[in-house]
Amino acid sequence: MNTTIATPSTSKSPPRAKAATSSLAASAKFRTFAVVFGIAVPVMYLLCEWFNLPLFTYHPATNRIEFWWAPARSGEGPTMYWYGWTVLSLLVGSAVGLLATMLPDSVARKIPLALVWLLPILALIPLAYSLMPFWTK
Amino acid sequence: MLISVNTFWTILLIVHGLLAIALLGALTHQAMAVLMPVRQTAGGFVTRFRAVPAAGYATAICVLWILTFLMGAWIYTKYRIYVRIPIEQAGYWKTQGFFELKEHAATLGLGLLPIYWYVWKNAHDPEYDGVRKSVTALLAFICWFNFLVGHVLNNVRGFGS
Repeated sequence: MNTTIATPSTSKSPPRAKAATSSLAASAKFRTFAVVFGIAVPVMYLLCEWFNLPLFTYHPATNRIEFWWAPARSGEGPTMYWYGWTVLSLLVGSAVGLLATMLPDSVARKIPLALVWLLPILALIPLAYSLMPFWTK
Repeated sequence: MLISVNTFWTILLIVHGLLAIALLGALTHQAMAVLMPVRQTAGGFVTRFRAVPAAGYATAICVLWILTFLMGAWIYTKYRIYVRIPIEQAGYWKTQGFFELKEHAATLGLGLLPIYWYVWKNAHDPEYDGVRKSVTALLAFICWFNFLVGHVLNNVRGFGS
């Protein structure tokens, strides 16, 4: 876990941290899980939001939770789907990530690392577009 | 009850804000350190700001992100009724739109945490230099965006309203 960067030196190259010593940070399987989880979560979250697929619906006025999608009930205030989208995305991301750990390391290492930061940025575009009613009112 | 319901939720809001400030400071230091690494002995304020041992922040940032997220998610239950409805009645549609974007961004950031932690714990490995910079910069951007949106929303209808 001791991976702190050394005190700034006068050398030309930036200082490097020490090699990872924790078992998790040195684990190839955790690397695969982290990469695939990072790819699956934004994709799943976008699908959940776009097609309105919450794992559960929360009714904040009555503290009621219903499985999957449920409409607002008359006289019981609004519904909240964000919790359901988030939990479903994290669960699917974890499941896909765990499945990916069964891949051979040579295959897992072919997954482009850039996807983990590129996909969340790309997902923000349709997510912002889906909020068009708020921008145009 | 020792405190009123309003005081309870106000305390939660303040804790959420304080956690966000800690996260913002840590992520900004780290993003500056990784995007503009110091190659010479620290001189002025900006150089010293960039010269932090950035890898040592990774675990704390993950914990802070999760705690801030959980506190925000808890407060959100009350926000939906006592803040969002009055905001919509007042016609602040863009403000509410930015809040919706904030919640999306917070979840996307949560999905980045395992790989973010991994690449910082392997900061010795040049294979991860690019992804480490990009993921850290993205998390810092999301954190700043969410912080500013939350701050504006608090001004519109937060503490004391």
